[in-house]
Amino acid sequence: MGIKGLLPLFLCISLLSASTSWAAEIRGRSSTQFLWFNNDFYSGRQVELAEYLRLSITDIDKAGKFSIHGYGRGTQDLNNGEGLNGRLYYLYGDYRGIYDKVDLKLGRQFVNLSAGSAIIDGGQVDLRNIGPVGFTVFGGRDVVFGLDGELGHGGDYALGMSAYLVRVRKTDLDVSWFRKWDAGDVSRDILGASFKQYLLDSVKLYSNVRYDVTSEVFNEVLAGVKYFPSAKLVFTGEWYQSYPTFDTTSIYSVFAVNRYQEGVFRVDYSINEKVAVNAGYSRQEYGEDGTANVYEVGCRLRPLESVTVGLAYDRRQGYDGKLNGGMFDATWNLTKDLQLAGGLTVDAYRRDFFPSTSGEQIAQKYWVGSRYQLAKNMNASVRVEENVNNTYNSDFQGRFIFNYDF
Amino acid sequence: MNKLLFGLLLLSFSVLYTQQAVAQKESHKDYASMNISECHSCHKTEGVALNHDADWTRGHRVSAGKGAANCAECHIQSFCLDCHSGGGIEADLKTQNYQRDYVPKSHRSDWREIHPIKALDNPQTCTRCHTEQKFCTECHSKFRGGDLQFLSHRRQFRDISLSSIGPNHAIFEQNGVINTTVCQTCHPGGILPAHQWSGAHATEARRNLQSCQSCHSDGDVCLTCHSARSGLRVSPHPRNWGSVKGNFRDKSDGRSCIRCHDGY
Repeated sequence: MGIKGLLPLFLCISLLSASTSWAAEIRGRSSTQFLWFNNDFYSGRQVELAEYLRLSITDIDKAGKFSIHGYGRGTQDLNNGEGLNGRLYYLYGDYRGIYDKVDLKLGRQFVNLSAGSAIIDGGQVDLRNIGPVGFTVFGGRDVVFGLDGELGHGGDYALGMSAYLVRVRKTDLDVSWFRKWDAGDVSRDILGASFKQYLLDSVKLYSNVRYDVTSEVFNEVLAGVKYFPSAKLVFTGEWYQSYPTFDTTSIYSVFAVNRYQEGVFRVDYSINEKVAVNAGYSRQEYGEDGTANVYEVGCRLRPLESVTVGLAYDRRQGYDGKLNGGMFDATWNLTKDLQLAGGLTVDAYRRDFFPSTSGEQIAQKYWVGSRYQLAKNMNASVRVEENVNNTYNSDFQGRFIFNYDF
Repeated sequence: MNKLLFGLLLLSFSVLYTQQAVAQKESHKDYASMNISECHSCHKTEGVALNHDADWTRGHRVSAGKGAANCAECHIQSFCLDCHSGGGIEADLKTQNYQRDYVPKSHRSDWREIHPIKALDNPQTCTRCHTEQKFCTECHSKFRGGDLQFLSHRRQFRDISLSSIGPNHAIFEQNGVINTTVCQTCHPGGILPAHQWSGAHATEARRNLQSCQSCHSDGDVCLTCHSARSGLRVSPHPRNWGSVKGNFRDKSDGRSCIRCHDGY
C-alpha cells in the first residue's frame, strides 16, 4: 500500500477530535478515474482504476477554530500485477487562533520555507500577533513518494523554522533554517532568506537565497526585478546562480562541481481582454565554456467569449543539445455544461550525448477531451491522446474521470 | 557629506516604513473566487505586481516559500501537491498524465527523451519536486546501462590503448571488474596523459553531477579512480575541501568519508 504511519495519524486526528462536540460540516470531492497507458517498464498496456478522496471537516468546535483536512488516492492495476498503490498526500488537524496567537497543524502535511520544503508526518506551529515579527516552526518524519509507494526509511526527519516580518505592507522579509536527516544522519542543513519590496507603485524587487551550511556555499541565489508601468505590461529581469549540492550521506556530496548561472529577461503584455502575449530570453552558463541560449514566445487568445486558445514556443541551443518545441491548446465552452478541448505538443530535439540517436528526433502528442457537468456537484470527463515519438510509432492512452463533490 | 546623505536616506526609509506599517497586509480570502483578470486593476492601483501572470509557474517559488505566504487564503494543499506530487483530483482537460501520475505542462511531449535537455534549464527545478535521487535511479535502473550513455562514455576505459602499439586497458578487466591494484605502476601519483576521456568526463561531471548520480547511484564507478585506497587515487574534492570536510564528517557521521578513506 505504501502508506507508512497511517494508523498513528488517524489515531492522532481521532484524539484531537474526541473532545469536541460533533456538529461538523464535511465537504470534499471524490474522483473516480479509469486510466489506460503503456507501461514503459513492462512494454505493455496497463489499465488502472484510481480513487481520489479529498475532504475538509470544519466547524468541529463551537468557535470554528478546529478543522481536519485530508487528501489521498488509491490505484489498482487491473492487468499487469502491480496491484494496489496509494499515496496519502495529507491528513492533518488544523487548530487556529489559540489565544489569538498560535496556529497548530498536526498530521501529514506539506510544509514550505524559503530554505526548503517537504511533506512531513509531524506538526507545524505558527506564532503571530506578537509584534512585527511572526514565527513558524515545523518538524516530523520526512515523507518521500516514489513511483510505487513511499521511499523513505526509519530516521528520515525534517525540521524547519522561520522568522518573518508581518506588518510592513509592501515589504516581505524572512529568514529560515531547514534541516533533514537521512537514517539518523544530517543530510541537509540549509539557511534561507527571501525578500520582496514594492517601490514607486510600479517596481517589485525580489530575492531568494539558500546557503548550504555543510558545503559553506550559496547553493541558490536569485535576484529579480519586475517593472509594471501599467496593469497590462510587466517586464521581468532575473539573475540566478546555483551550485548543485547533495545529501551529505551521498558520495556525490564530496565531488567538485561548477556554478550554474542564468540571466532571464521577459515581457508579458495583455493587449486587451482577447489577446495576451509574452516573450523571453535566458542565457545559461554551466562553467568551462558550457553555455546555452533559450528563447520563448507565447500568446493566449480569446477570439470568442467561449473559446480560449494558447500557443507557446521555445528554442534552446547550446550545451547538451538543442530543442525546438511548443504547444497549442484550445478550449471551447460549447454550452454552460459542455466543454470541448484539444491540443498538441511537438518537440524537435537533438541530444549531443546520446550516441544511438544521431540526428534530430521529433516527439509529437495530440489530444482531445470533453467534460460534461452532469449536475451542480457532478461532472464527467474523458481525454485521449496519441503519442508519436522515438519510442512509439503509436502510443494511445487516455482517462475517464467522474467527480462527485459533497 | 556622506553622513548627511546617510541621515537623509535613513529619514526617508523611516517615513516610508512608518507609513507602510500603519497599513496592514490585505487578506485575500474574500477574493478567492475572483478571476485573475479582475485582480489586476486593484493590484495596479495599490502598486502591487500582477503575481499570477503567464510567468507565474516559473516564478511562484519565491512567493510560496516566504514567511507568512498567503497562498492558503485561496488554495488548499492539494492545489500544490497535484503539481508537485502527481495528484489529479482537480485535473482539467489540458493536464497531462505520465502513467498513473499527473504532471505539470513543462513535462510535455515525450518527456522521457527530452527531460535531460529540459532539466538543464536551471537544474534545481527537478529537485523541487523530486527531492530524492532515488526517484531518478528507480527509473534509470530499469534500463540497460548502454542505453543511457554520455559523450564521455563513448570511449570507455577499456578502449584506451596502453601505448601506440600496445593492447587496450581491457586487459586489466576481468568479468567487468577493474583490477585497481596495478594502476599506480604506470600512473604514479594518479598522473594521466592528457586525452579526451579523462578531461571530458570530468567537465561533464562538474557541470551536471546530478546526471551521474541518476545512474551510478552509489558512485562505485567513480571510486574506481577517485578512491584514496586504490586505483589512480585522484582527489575529486572541491577547492575549499580542507575547510569544509569536517562538516561532512560530523553531519553524516563519516558515512561518505569511509567509502574512500580508512581513517577520517
